[in-house]
Amino acid sequence: MKYAKILAILMFAYAVVPLAVGANNYYMSMLVAALVIGGVALSWALLGNLGGMVSFGHSAFVGIGAYVSAILSAKHGVPVLMAVPLGGIGAVLASIVMMPVLRLRGPYFALAILAYAHIFRILATEWSSVTGGSGGVSGIPGFPELFGMNNKMASYLVAVTLILVFALAYHRIRASYYGIALRAMHDSEDATRVVGVNSTVLKAGMLMVSAFMAGVFGAVNAHYINFLEPDYAFNALWVTLPIVAAIFGGYRTISGPVIGALVVYLADQLVFKTLMPTGHQLVLGVLLVLMIVFSPSGLMSLLKKKQAAPHA
Amino acid sequence: MKTTFKRLALAALVSAACIGAANAEEIKVGAELPLTGSLARVGAGMQEGIMVAQEVFNKTNGKHTIKVITIDDESAPAKAIAAVEKLASDGVVAITGGYGSNNISPASDAANKLGLVYITSGGVDDSLVAAGRKNFFRINNSAGYEKALVGLLQDVNAKSVSIVYSTKDATSGLAKDVEKALAAKGVKVAMHSFDPAITDFKPIINKVKLQDKSEVIAMVGYENDYVGILRAARVLKPSVKAMVGVWSLATPKMAADFPDLMPHVFGTALLPFPAEFKTADGKAFADAYKTLYKKEPDYLGQFGYVQSMLLFEAIARAADKGTLKKGGVADELRKTDKETLIGRVQFGANGDNPNFVHRMGQHQDKKIVIVWPKESATGKIAYPATPW
Repeated sequence: MKYAKILAILMFAYAVVPLAVGANNYYMSMLVAALVIGGVALSWALLGNLGGMVSFGHSAFVGIGAYVSAILSAKHGVPVLMAVPLGGIGAVLASIVMMPVLRLRGPYFALAILAYAHIFRILATEWSSVTGGSGGVSGIPGFPELFGMNNKMASYLVAVTLILVFALAYHRIRASYYGIALRAMHDSEDATRVVGVNSTVLKAGMLMVSAFMAGVFGAVNAHYINFLEPDYAFNALWVTLPIVAAIFGGYRTISGPVIGALVVYLADQLVFKTLMPTGHQLVLGVLLVLMIVFSPSGLMSLLKKKQAAPHA
Repeated sequence: MKTTFKRLALAALVSAACIGAANAEEIKVGAELPLTGSLARVGAGMQEGIMVAQEVFNKTNGKHTIKVITIDDESAPAKAIAAVEKLASDGVVAITGGYGSNNISPASDAANKLGLVYITSGGVDDSLVAAGRKNFFRINNSAGYEKALVGLLQDVNAKSVSIVYSTKDATSGLAKDVEKALAAKGVKVAMHSFDPAITDFKPIINKVKLQDKSEVIAMVGYENDYVGILRAARVLKPSVKAMVGVWSLATPKMAADFPDLMPHVFGTALLPFPAEFKTADGKAFADAYKTLYKKEPDYLGQFGYVQSMLLFEAIARAADKGTLKKGGVADELRKTDKETLIGRVQFGANGDNPNFVHRMGQHQDKKIVIVWPKESATGKIAYPATPW
């Protein structure tokens, strides 16, 4: 049953969607943008769920991943498919600089990591010899055409594959000894320390994994948009939208953040925007409030409850 | 024989009806604009001009009808790409609009890939025209703003200038260009950059007052920056002879919203306020604008109008030649050489308008007077003069 479900997801992502909407540039654009947000939401949820850390600074990882990949590919000729993971590694290096904030908890951690994001934005603006300064980097190469598929389809397949790989990594980490320790730490860090778990090392590891994932998706986005500037790369939207998506879908689940991003972004752009060309975000806001009030654990939890109801 | 004539007459009638229908065919043009988000105000201003152009073109052309389909790009690059692709799937033949280089760059890339012409006045970043997009056209550029700012400073014979500029792309690029041009003319220039997030400009103004002791403060920023700088200058009263700025400063809105800060301040302005138009095109624009929006036209509307009218006219010519969907719109735009409400417009090989030169206006008695260049002036320059 479990394998059938996985097979169905793979079939849907790799066959049904490309066949159904692959020829429509607009729908493919929507999907790629939603998947990028989904990927960042997944990385944010992993840190919040397993590491117990609410980050308002993920835009730093997105921005650094984007810049590293963009500069390597546009200015140094590194192939795009190699530059993307290097973008993730750039974000990991940035997370190492952020390690001192792991000593902080709750809102102090959230605020300190937010300040780091701001610092990186200023660095990207001022270090103009490398980053192009406020003018940014243009002419960033897109994903290469693979097996006769156009750039848009290649972007979609890269994003889908990365989501699936990262979801699998999330699943493996959660099921491991470290995952169990992290979840225990989430409930009571002091109690976990008492039984000999080094919570700082575990949290540092989680921050690095989460940074890598966000950095990779920042890189994917840079190659999709083909343009980057500090204000866009480190925009607060890279934090708020994934948080909204993760909470909407259910940040304690693996599929919740991705499903949340797809539902929130696609419903907003394809349904609400058609009905209300401007001001459609209002509908989304109301929907989110209702979701948080009636199902604080998110959409996935609500669906599970609905499925379980007839047997209760 | 009679039947044959009847058939011929009927065929002629049907053909005439078909030709009539073809002529009356609505040609769809896309407008990709930020109507929400951080660029909403400027996006809405440009949209007003685009809609006025649609109104005027449809009334005056007599042969072709343009229908503008607008999509809000929400001031976000990914949504700007999606907007262009949606407009392409809706069957538009070209795109007008775009604001902010970070949105225009990916959106015009998407348009280029789809073979659609993209025309704008919303981004002065030179990388937009250096990227080699063959379907990209722009009616204004940073050089035109530089010429106006430097021209005015030369006319008032300023010996020293402090440039206070935002680190954003367009503003820092323009500030550095102006610095170079002034330094080449022997003017002493001091540069002061500021982060777009700051609101307190007193430390910078204090530096200008105590350290630079310049004759003029040149502000290269946006509306909120000007207000912050002028407020700080009003408090510290540096001994300068003039406060000069760039876009979104010499506007009726600024005069109405900040009556204490604006007197004698200079800024780029295409129009005096109240607006005065001498040409038939200008009068048609102003009349349609006032009818549609019940207010005086502003420079954003003027830019939106000019870029869209040039596009619509190129579309009409391409439609007449039957090349509308064979790259004819871009070809016709490349042949453009026209005197417009913003001056003469031609397009170089990179799609930029080499003739663009802005004008400088000055807030005088709650009005805006054009003071540079002399041939466009509607009043006398007040110098030295500051708001305090």
